[in-house]
Amino acid sequence: MKNFLITKQEWITTIFRVGFGAFLLYAGGIKAFDPAASANATAAYKILPTELAHNAGYILPWLEVALAIFLILGIFIRPAAIASALLMVMFIGAIASVWARGMLIDCGCLGGGGAIDPSKATEARIAYALDIVRDAAFVGMCLYIFKYPYGRFSLEKKPETTTQASEDQQ
Amino acid sequence: MSKPKKNSVKSQGGDPFTRWLVIGMVTLVVAVGAFFSLTSENKAKNAAFVALDSFQSYGTLPGNVDSTAGDGIVFNAGLATKIDVFEDFQCPICKLFEDPIGGYLTSLITEKKAQVTYHPLSFLGNGTKDDESIAASNAAYCAADENKFLDFHKALYDVQSQVENSGFLNTENLLTIGKKIGITSTTFTDCVTNKSKIVNVVAATESMARYGVKGTPTTLINGKLWERQSPGFDVNEFKAAVEAAAK
Repeated sequence: MKNFLITKQEWITTIFRVGFGAFLLYAGGIKAFDPAASANATAAYKILPTELAHNAGYILPWLEVALAIFLILGIFIRPAAIASALLMVMFIGAIASVWARGMLIDCGCLGGGGAIDPSKATEARIAYALDIVRDAAFVGMCLYIFKYPYGRFSLEKKPETTTQASEDQQ
Repeated sequence: MSKPKKNSVKSQGGDPFTRWLVIGMVTLVVAVGAFFSLTSENKAKNAAFVALDSFQSYGTLPGNVDSTAGDGIVFNAGLATKIDVFEDFQCPICKLFEDPIGGYLTSLITEKKAQVTYHPLSFLGNGTKDDESIAASNAAYCAADENKFLDFHKALYDVQSQVENSGFLNTENLLTIGKKIGITSTTFTDCVTNKSKIVNVVAATESMARYGVKGTPTTLINGKLWERQSPGFDVNEFKAAVEAAAK
């Protein structure tokens, strides 16, 4: 496994970058074009004061879109990967927090959001667990991309270590 | 051509100018998008009152605040078929309920076919001193004193902000809603401004537990929870449930 992760690194990086990027682009895109729902969704977590939560709801989707474009194009890869990982960690924290406080909301991860029907309590908890697992997997992918940022179909190419170094020292 | 790099691990893609150009363009486009999202709330707020320009009044319909019903506002007290509606004026799903079904509920009241009790409560407020769910429900109780609860209730849903707790339902805007639909008395103005009916709002909110109501909107038909089968709110489905209960 370890070996596989290293020998096929170029392709794994590419798949992670484009796959996660596409997901992020989709998730950010549908929220970016429904700002009111997104603002309500962040407010429903009751973590930030209402007004701040609304503004976060307006901005976060666009941040996701930006990170997604960087990852897909393969530019600014490492900063985008680490920022995405932090974003996902934040989402995990937020979902864990509502779960721990016994609140029933739709995470609004892919649009929608807000309080949900109390009769759907079990479904909501399953959804929290799945969302956390999914985001944790994304964190793993981001960290991998951060460690090995260079793959196929990327605007940024792997620098050629030796020649580059000698050139730099001229 | 490129500025010297200390560390060869640093990424490079094409020439640095193109790289930063692409990064800059993406950032710019996204920042513009984010800016429009941020300003969308205010635009929507300003447009809201237009919905009241062609408001159709139901006329004056007296409803009584019943302390035995958790301070619910009761219309046609004593009729055999009893409907209870629990709502928060900020709740978007309540609007989805009211838009198709509110007219039918009002016809049950005007045609004296059922006892309808509205429980305007605070479920979605943010608990600050400007809590908008409390302010709106308070104002609805004020309108009930003018026998205009049903008008005011409908108007609140007509102008409902897409964003909860956005600051839209403040005293000034609640008075504007009243003015637009013809509630202009000083008692109403004082009542809304001083939040005189807050005890009723608290009582209605606290009665949720007694009725076993966990969220809004909740509708009870003869005390029994109405559970819709269709994905949206369908007036025919609701009508059938009411008519079945009336038999």
